[in-house]
Amino acid sequence: MLEKLKICMKLYWQFFTFGSFTFGGGWSIVAQMKDLYVDKEKILTNEELFDITSIGRSLPGTMIGNIAMIFGHKLSGFFGGIACVFGMITVPMIILLLITTFYTAFQDNLWVASAMRGVRTAVAPVIISALLGMVKSAFKAPPFYVVAAAMFILYFCFNFSCVWLVVIGAVLGLIICEYYERVKKIVIA
Amino acid sequence: MLLLELFWSFVKIGFTSFGGLSMIPLISSEMISHGWMTAHEVSDIVAIAEMTPGPLGLNCATFAGMRAAGVLGAFIANLGALSPSLTLCVVAAIFFEHFQNNHRLGQVMTGVRPACVGMVAGVIVDLALVNYFEASKIHIPSVILGVTDLILLLKFKISIPLVILFSAAAGIILFGILGV
Repeated sequence: MLEKLKICMKLYWQFFTFGSFTFGGGWSIVAQMKDLYVDKEKILTNEELFDITSIGRSLPGTMIGNIAMIFGHKLSGFFGGIACVFGMITVPMIILLLITTFYTAFQDNLWVASAMRGVRTAVAPVIISALLGMVKSAFKAPPFYVVAAAMFILYFCFNFSCVWLVVIGAVLGLIICEYYERVKKIVIA
Repeated sequence: MLLLELFWSFVKIGFTSFGGLSMIPLISSEMISHGWMTAHEVSDIVAIAEMTPGPLGLNCATFAGMRAAGVLGAFIANLGALSPSLTLCVVAAIFFEHFQNNHRLGQVMTGVRPACVGMVAGVIVDLALVNYFEASKIHIPSVILGVTDLILLLKFKISIPLVILFSAAAGIILFGILGV
Protein backbone atom coordinates (compact mmCIF):
# COMPACT_ATOMS: atom_id res chain seq x y z
CA MET A 1 0.00 0.00 0.00
CA LEU A 2 2.71 2.43 1.09
CA GLU A 3 4.90 1.14 -1.73
CA LYS A 4 2.13 1.87 -4.21
CA LEU A 5 1.62 5.37 -2.86
CA LYS A 6 5.35 5.98 -3.26
CA ILE A 7 5.26 4.87 -6.90
CA CYS A 8 2.25 7.13 -7.57
CA MET A 9 4.02 10.11 -5.98
CA LYS A 10 7.07 9.43 -8.12
CA LEU A 11 4.96 9.15 -11.28
CA TYR A 12 3.13 12.36 -10.40
CA TRP A 13 6.42 14.21 -10.00
CA GLN A 14 7.92 12.79 -13.22
CA PHE A 15 4.89 13.77 -15.29
CA PHE A 16 4.80 17.12 -13.50
CA THR A 17 8.24 17.83 -15.01
CA PHE A 18 7.25 16.38 -18.43
CA GLY A 19 4.17 18.60 -18.44
CA SER A 20 6.21 21.72 -17.79
CA PHE A 21 8.17 21.34 -21.02
CA THR A 22 5.63 20.59 -23.72
CA PHE A 23 5.13 23.30 -26.25
CA GLY A 24 2.56 23.02 -28.99
CA GLY A 25 2.00 19.31 -29.08
CA GLY A 26 2.38 16.12 -27.12
CA TRP A 27 5.27 14.57 -29.00
CA SER A 28 7.86 16.16 -26.74
CA ILE A 29 6.35 14.25 -23.80
CA VAL A 30 6.77 10.99 -25.70
CA ALA A 31 10.40 11.96 -26.35
CA GLN A 32 10.93 12.72 -22.65
CA MET A 33 9.29 9.41 -21.69
CA LYS A 34 11.68 7.62 -24.03
CA ASP A 35 14.70 9.36 -22.44
CA LEU A 36 13.65 8.53 -18.90
CA TYR A 37 11.83 5.17 -19.02
CA VAL A 38 13.43 3.48 -22.02
CA ASP A 39 17.00 4.79 -21.97
CA LYS A 40 17.64 5.64 -18.32
CA GLU A 41 15.40 3.57 -16.02
CA LYS A 42 14.95 0.75 -18.56
CA ILE A 43 11.50 -0.14 -17.25
CA LEU A 44 9.95 0.16 -20.71
CA THR A 45 11.06 -1.06 -24.14
CA ASN A 46 10.92 1.02 -27.28
CA GLU A 47 8.26 -1.34 -28.66
CA GLU A 48 6.07 -0.94 -25.57
CA LEU A 49 6.31 2.83 -25.78
CA PHE A 50 5.45 2.66 -29.47
CA ASP A 51 2.39 0.48 -28.73
CA ILE A 52 1.21 2.77 -25.93
CA THR A 53 1.63 5.77 -28.22
CA SER A 54 -0.24 4.24 -31.13
CA ILE A 55 -3.15 3.13 -28.93
CA GLY A 56 -3.26 6.52 -27.19
CA ARG A 57 -3.33 8.19 -30.57
CA SER A 58 -6.14 6.11 -32.01
CA LEU A 59 -8.48 6.64 -29.06
CA PRO A 60 -10.46 9.88 -28.75
CA GLY A 61 -9.28 12.64 -26.42
CA THR A 62 -5.96 14.38 -25.95
CA MET A 63 -3.25 12.05 -27.14
CA ILE A 64 -0.90 12.75 -24.29
CA GLY A 65 -3.60 12.35 -21.63
CA ASN A 66 -4.34 8.94 -23.12
CA ILE A 67 -0.67 7.96 -23.23
CA ALA A 68 -0.13 9.10 -19.62
CA MET A 69 -3.16 7.10 -18.45
CA ILE A 70 -2.23 3.88 -20.25
CA PHE A 71 1.40 4.12 -19.14
CA GLY A 72 0.53 4.88 -15.51
CA HIS A 73 -2.05 2.10 -15.45
CA LYS A 74 0.48 -0.36 -16.82
CA LEU A 75 2.96 0.56 -14.09
CA SER A 76 0.75 0.95 -11.07
CA GLY A 77 -2.93 0.44 -11.86
CA PHE A 78 -5.73 3.00 -12.03
CA PHE A 79 -4.23 5.39 -9.48
CA GLY A 80 -0.87 5.26 -11.24
CA GLY A 81 -2.66 6.46 -14.37
CA ILE A 82 -4.44 9.21 -12.45
CA ALA A 83 -1.10 10.32 -10.95
CA CYS A 84 0.46 10.61 -14.43
CA VAL A 85 -2.51 12.47 -15.97
CA PHE A 86 -2.87 14.99 -13.16
CA GLY A 87 0.89 15.41 -12.85
CA MET A 88 1.05 16.30 -16.51
CA ILE A 89 -1.72 18.91 -16.41
CA THR A 90 -0.69 20.72 -13.20
CA VAL A 91 1.82 23.22 -14.60
CA PRO A 92 0.01 23.95 -17.91
CA MET A 93 -3.20 24.55 -15.96
CA ILE A 94 -1.61 26.98 -13.49
CA ILE A 95 0.07 28.90 -16.33
CA LEU A 96 -3.17 29.09 -18.31
CA LEU A 97 -5.11 30.24 -15.22
CA LEU A 98 -2.65 33.11 -14.79
CA ILE A 99 -2.75 34.01 -18.49
CA THR A 100 -6.55 33.91 -18.55
CA THR A 101 -6.68 36.26 -15.57
CA PHE A 102 -4.33 38.74 -17.25
CA TYR A 103 -6.03 38.35 -20.62
CA THR A 104 -9.41 39.14 -19.11
CA ALA A 105 -8.02 42.17 -17.27
CA PHE A 106 -5.99 43.65 -20.15
CA GLN A 107 -8.05 42.55 -23.16
CA ASP A 108 -9.17 46.11 -23.86
CA ASN A 109 -5.81 47.77 -23.32
CA LEU A 110 -4.66 49.33 -26.64
CA TRP A 111 -1.27 47.58 -26.73
CA VAL A 112 -2.59 44.19 -25.70
CA ALA A 113 -5.48 44.50 -28.14
CA SER A 114 -3.10 45.44 -30.99
CA ALA A 115 -0.79 42.53 -30.17
CA MET A 116 -3.74 40.12 -30.07
CA ARG A 117 -5.01 41.46 -33.40
CA GLY A 118 -1.63 40.66 -34.89
CA VAL A 119 -1.63 37.24 -33.26
CA ARG A 120 -5.07 36.44 -34.70
CA THR A 121 -3.73 36.81 -38.23
CA ALA A 122 -1.32 33.97 -37.43
CA VAL A 123 -3.99 31.54 -36.27
CA ALA A 124 -5.28 30.43 -39.70
CA PRO A 125 -1.70 29.94 -41.01
CA VAL A 126 -0.79 27.92 -37.91
CA ILE A 127 -3.80 25.64 -38.39
CA ILE A 128 -3.08 25.35 -42.14
CA SER A 129 0.49 24.21 -41.44
CA ALA A 130 -0.78 21.62 -38.95
CA LEU A 131 -3.49 20.50 -41.39
CA LEU A 132 -0.87 19.86 -44.07
CA GLY A 133 0.82 17.50 -41.60
CA MET A 134 -2.48 15.65 -41.07
CA VAL A 135 -3.20 15.36 -44.80
CA LYS A 136 -0.29 12.95 -45.38
CA SER A 137 -1.85 10.12 -43.39
CA ALA A 138 -5.51 11.01 -43.92
CA PHE A 139 -6.17 9.76 -47.44
CA LYS A 140 -5.59 6.03 -47.67
CA ALA A 141 -7.81 5.67 -50.78
CA PRO A 142 -9.47 8.05 -53.28
CA PRO A 143 -12.99 7.89 -51.74
CA PHE A 144 -11.63 9.56 -48.61
CA TYR A 145 -11.09 12.79 -50.53
CA VAL A 146 -14.85 12.79 -51.08
CA VAL A 147 -15.39 12.14 -47.35
CA ALA A 148 -13.24 15.16 -46.43
CA ALA A 149 -14.99 17.40 -48.98
CA ALA A 150 -18.43 16.26 -47.83
CA MET A 151 -17.57 16.91 -44.16
CA PHE A 152 -16.26 20.36 -45.06
CA ILE A 153 -19.56 21.22 -46.78
CA LEU A 154 -21.69 19.75 -43.97
CA TYR A 155 -19.68 21.66 -41.35
CA PHE A 156 -19.30 24.96 -43.14
CA CYS A 157 -22.52 25.31 -45.17
CA PHE A 158 -24.99 23.31 -43.09
CA ASN A 159 -23.59 23.82 -39.57
CA PHE A 160 -23.64 20.11 -38.82
CA SER A 161 -22.49 19.23 -35.29
CA CYS A 162 -18.90 17.92 -35.16
CA VAL A 163 -20.07 14.97 -33.06
CA TRP A 164 -22.17 13.73 -35.97
CA LEU A 165 -19.45 14.40 -38.51
CA VAL A 166 -17.01 12.23 -36.55
CA VAL A 167 -19.63 9.46 -36.27
CA ILE A 168 -20.38 9.67 -40.03
CA GLY A 169 -16.63 9.58 -40.74
CA ALA A 170 -16.23 6.47 -38.55
CA VAL A 171 -19.12 4.65 -40.28
CA LEU A 172 -17.85 5.60 -43.75
CA GLY A 173 -14.38 4.38 -42.71
CA LEU A 174 -15.82 0.95 -41.83
CA ILE A 175 -17.87 0.74 -45.04
CA ILE A 176 -15.15 1.92 -47.42
CA CYS A 177 -12.43 -0.24 -45.84
CA GLU A 178 -14.69 -3.31 -45.91
CA TYR A 179 -15.55 -2.61 -49.56
CA TYR A 180 -11.87 -2.43 -50.48
CA GLU A 181 -11.10 -5.62 -48.59
CA ARG A 182 -13.99 -7.68 -49.93
CA VAL A 183 -14.39 -6.41 -53.49
CA LYS A 184 -10.93 -5.17 -54.40
CA LYS A 185 -9.00 -7.47 -52.03
CA ILE A 186 -6.83 -4.61 -50.75
CA VAL A 187 -6.33 -3.92 -47.05
CA ILE A 188 -6.07 -0.17 -46.55
CA ALA A 189 -6.77 0.32 -42.84
CA MET B 1 -25.91 23.86 -13.51
CA LEU B 2 -23.31 25.93 -15.36
CA LEU B 3 -20.63 23.54 -14.15
CA LEU B 4 -22.61 20.57 -15.44
CA GLU B 5 -23.09 22.24 -18.81
CA LEU B 6 -19.38 23.03 -18.98
CA PHE B 7 -18.46 19.47 -18.08
CA TRP B 8 -20.83 17.99 -20.66
CA SER B 9 -19.54 20.32 -23.40
CA PHE B 10 -15.98 19.21 -22.79
CA VAL B 11 -16.95 15.54 -22.56
CA LYS B 12 -18.38 15.93 -26.09
CA ILE B 13 -15.24 17.74 -27.20
CA GLY B 14 -13.03 15.06 -25.63
CA PHE B 15 -14.80 12.08 -27.15
CA THR B 16 -14.95 13.48 -30.68
CA SER B 17 -11.43 14.80 -30.98
CA PHE B 18 -8.47 12.89 -32.28
CA GLY B 19 -5.24 14.69 -31.59
CA GLY B 20 -4.37 18.37 -31.43
CA LEU B 21 -6.17 20.58 -33.86
CA SER B 22 -9.08 18.27 -34.58
CA MET B 23 -10.49 19.67 -31.32
CA ILE B 24 -10.78 23.21 -32.66
CA PRO B 25 -13.97 22.86 -34.75
CA LEU B 26 -15.97 21.48 -31.84
CA ILE B 27 -14.41 23.82 -29.27
CA SER B 28 -15.25 26.76 -31.50
CA SER B 29 -18.88 25.77 -32.04
CA GLU B 30 -19.47 24.78 -28.39
CA MET B 31 -17.89 27.96 -26.99
CA ILE B 32 -19.65 30.33 -29.37
CA SER B 33 -23.06 28.68 -29.10
CA HIS B 34 -22.94 28.80 -25.27
CA GLY B 35 -21.69 32.39 -25.32
CA TRP B 36 -18.57 31.44 -23.34
CA MET B 37 -16.26 32.95 -25.96
CA THR B 38 -16.49 35.16 -29.02
CA ALA B 39 -14.98 34.09 -32.37
CA HIS B 40 -12.08 36.45 -31.70
CA GLU B 41 -11.46 34.86 -28.32
CA VAL B 42 -11.41 31.40 -29.92
CA SER B 43 -8.59 32.63 -32.19
CA ASP B 44 -6.80 34.13 -29.19
CA ILE B 45 -6.97 30.93 -27.17
CA VAL B 46 -5.67 28.84 -30.07
CA ALA B 47 -2.66 31.17 -30.29
CA ILE B 48 -2.16 31.26 -26.50
CA ALA B 49 -2.48 27.48 -26.26
CA GLU B 50 0.16 27.04 -28.97
CA MET B 51 2.60 29.16 -26.98
CA THR B 52 2.15 27.66 -23.53
CA PRO B 53 3.00 24.14 -22.37
CA GLY B 54 0.31 21.47 -22.38
CA PRO B 55 -2.09 20.04 -24.95
CA LEU B 56 -4.24 22.47 -26.92
CA GLY B 57 -7.54 20.90 -25.86
CA LEU B 58 -6.74 21.14 -22.16
CA ASN B 59 -5.49 24.71 -22.46
CA CYS B 60 -8.76 25.65 -24.16
CA ALA B 61 -10.64 23.87 -21.38
CA THR B 62 -8.80 25.87 -18.73
CA PHE B 63 -9.40 29.16 -20.54
CA ALA B 64 -13.09 28.55 -21.24
CA GLY B 65 -13.79 27.02 -17.84
CA MET B 66 -12.07 29.85 -15.99
CA ARG B 67 -13.97 32.50 -17.95
CA ALA B 68 -17.29 30.76 -17.53
CA ALA B 69 -17.05 29.70 -13.88
CA GLY B 70 -13.69 30.51 -12.27
CA VAL B 71 -11.00 28.09 -11.11
CA LEU B 72 -13.51 25.34 -10.31
CA GLY B 73 -14.91 25.74 -13.82
CA ALA B 74 -11.42 25.33 -15.26
CA PHE B 75 -10.92 22.12 -13.30
CA ILE B 76 -14.32 20.71 -14.29
CA ALA B 77 -13.71 21.56 -17.97
CA ASN B 78 -10.33 19.80 -17.82
CA LEU B 79 -11.96 16.72 -16.29
CA GLY B 80 -14.47 16.72 -19.14
CA ALA B 81 -11.80 17.02 -21.80
CA LEU B 82 -9.84 14.22 -20.08
CA SER B 83 -12.87 11.93 -19.73
CA PRO B 84 -11.82 9.62 -22.61
CA SER B 85 -8.40 9.21 -20.94
CA LEU B 86 -10.02 8.42 -17.58
CA THR B 87 -12.51 5.90 -18.99
CA LEU B 88 -11.68 4.45 -22.43
CA CYS B 89 -7.95 4.32 -21.74
CA VAL B 90 -8.48 2.32 -18.56
CA VAL B 91 -10.32 -0.27 -20.65
CA ALA B 92 -7.54 -0.07 -23.25
CA ALA B 93 -4.87 -0.55 -20.60
CA ILE B 94 -6.63 -3.63 -19.18
CA PHE B 95 -7.28 -5.22 -22.57
CA PHE B 96 -4.01 -3.94 -24.00
CA GLU B 97 -3.45 -6.84 -26.42
CA HIS B 98 -6.91 -6.47 -27.95
CA PHE B 99 -6.30 -2.85 -28.76
CA GLN B 100 -2.91 -3.48 -30.30
CA ASN B 101 -3.24 -3.45 -34.08
CA ASN B 102 -7.01 -3.74 -33.78
CA HIS B 103 -8.33 -3.97 -37.32
CA ARG B 104 -11.80 -2.47 -36.68
CA LEU B 105 -10.26 0.47 -34.81
CA GLY B 106 -7.96 0.99 -37.78
CA GLN B 107 -10.92 1.03 -40.18
CA VAL B 108 -12.81 3.53 -38.03
CA MET B 109 -9.78 5.83 -37.83
CA THR B 110 -9.25 5.60 -41.59
CA GLY B 111 -12.63 7.30 -41.95
CA VAL B 112 -12.34 9.66 -38.99
CA ARG B 113 -9.04 11.20 -40.18
CA PRO B 114 -10.35 12.60 -43.50
CA ALA B 115 -13.51 13.74 -41.69
CA CYS B 116 -11.29 15.72 -39.30
CA VAL B 117 -9.40 17.22 -42.26
CA GLY B 118 -12.72 18.43 -43.69
CA MET B 119 -13.85 19.95 -40.36
CA VAL B 120 -10.50 21.61 -39.67
CA ALA B 121 -10.56 23.10 -43.19
CA GLY B 122 -14.02 24.43 -42.33
CA VAL B 123 -12.82 26.04 -39.12
CA ILE B 124 -9.89 27.67 -40.96
CA VAL B 125 -12.38 29.41 -43.26
CA ASP B 126 -14.56 30.32 -40.25
CA LEU B 127 -11.65 31.94 -38.41
CA ALA B 128 -10.29 33.62 -41.56
CA LEU B 129 -13.69 35.26 -42.11
CA VAL B 130 -13.42 36.78 -38.62
CA ASN B 131 -9.71 37.62 -38.50
CA TYR B 132 -9.11 39.12 -41.95
CA PHE B 133 -12.30 41.16 -42.16
CA GLU B 134 -13.36 44.34 -40.43
CA ALA B 135 -16.96 45.53 -40.55
CA SER B 136 -17.57 42.87 -43.26
CA LYS B 137 -14.87 44.38 -45.47
CA ILE B 138 -11.58 42.64 -46.15
CA HIS B 139 -8.76 44.18 -44.09
CA ILE B 140 -5.66 44.23 -46.32
CA PRO B 141 -2.92 44.75 -43.63
CA SER B 142 -4.23 41.71 -41.72
CA VAL B 143 -4.20 39.63 -44.90
CA ILE B 144 -0.63 40.66 -45.71
CA LEU B 145 0.47 39.78 -42.17
CA GLY B 146 -1.33 36.42 -42.41
CA VAL B 147 0.34 35.57 -45.74
CA THR B 148 3.72 36.53 -44.24
CA ASP B 149 3.04 34.18 -41.30
CA LEU B 150 2.15 31.35 -43.67
CA ILE B 151 5.36 31.84 -45.66
CA LEU B 152 7.43 31.94 -42.45
CA LEU B 153 5.83 28.68 -41.30
CA LEU B 154 5.86 26.69 -44.54
CA LYS B 155 8.79 28.06 -46.52
CA PHE B 156 11.22 29.02 -43.76
CA LYS B 157 10.07 26.40 -41.22
CA ILE B 158 10.04 28.95 -38.37
CA SER B 159 8.55 27.42 -35.21
CA ILE B 160 4.95 28.21 -34.27
CA PRO B 161 5.70 30.10 -31.00
CA LEU B 162 8.18 32.35 -32.83
CA VAL B 163 5.72 33.10 -35.63
CA ILE B 164 3.07 34.00 -33.04
CA LEU B 165 5.54 36.29 -31.22
CA PHE B 166 6.43 37.91 -34.55
CA SER B 167 2.72 38.51 -35.26
CA ALA B 168 2.20 40.05 -31.83
CA ALA B 169 5.10 42.47 -32.44
CA ALA B 170 3.82 43.24 -35.94
CA GLY B 171 0.35 43.81 -34.48
CA ILE B 172 1.67 46.32 -31.94
CA ILE B 173 3.49 48.22 -34.70
CA LEU B 174 0.76 48.03 -37.36
CA PHE B 175 -2.40 48.41 -35.32
CA GLY B 176 -1.09 50.14 -32.18
CA ILE B 177 1.54 52.60 -33.42
CA LEU B 178 0.64 53.12 -37.07
CA GLY B 179 -3.08 52.63 -36.48
CA VAL B 180 -3.84 50.96 -39.82
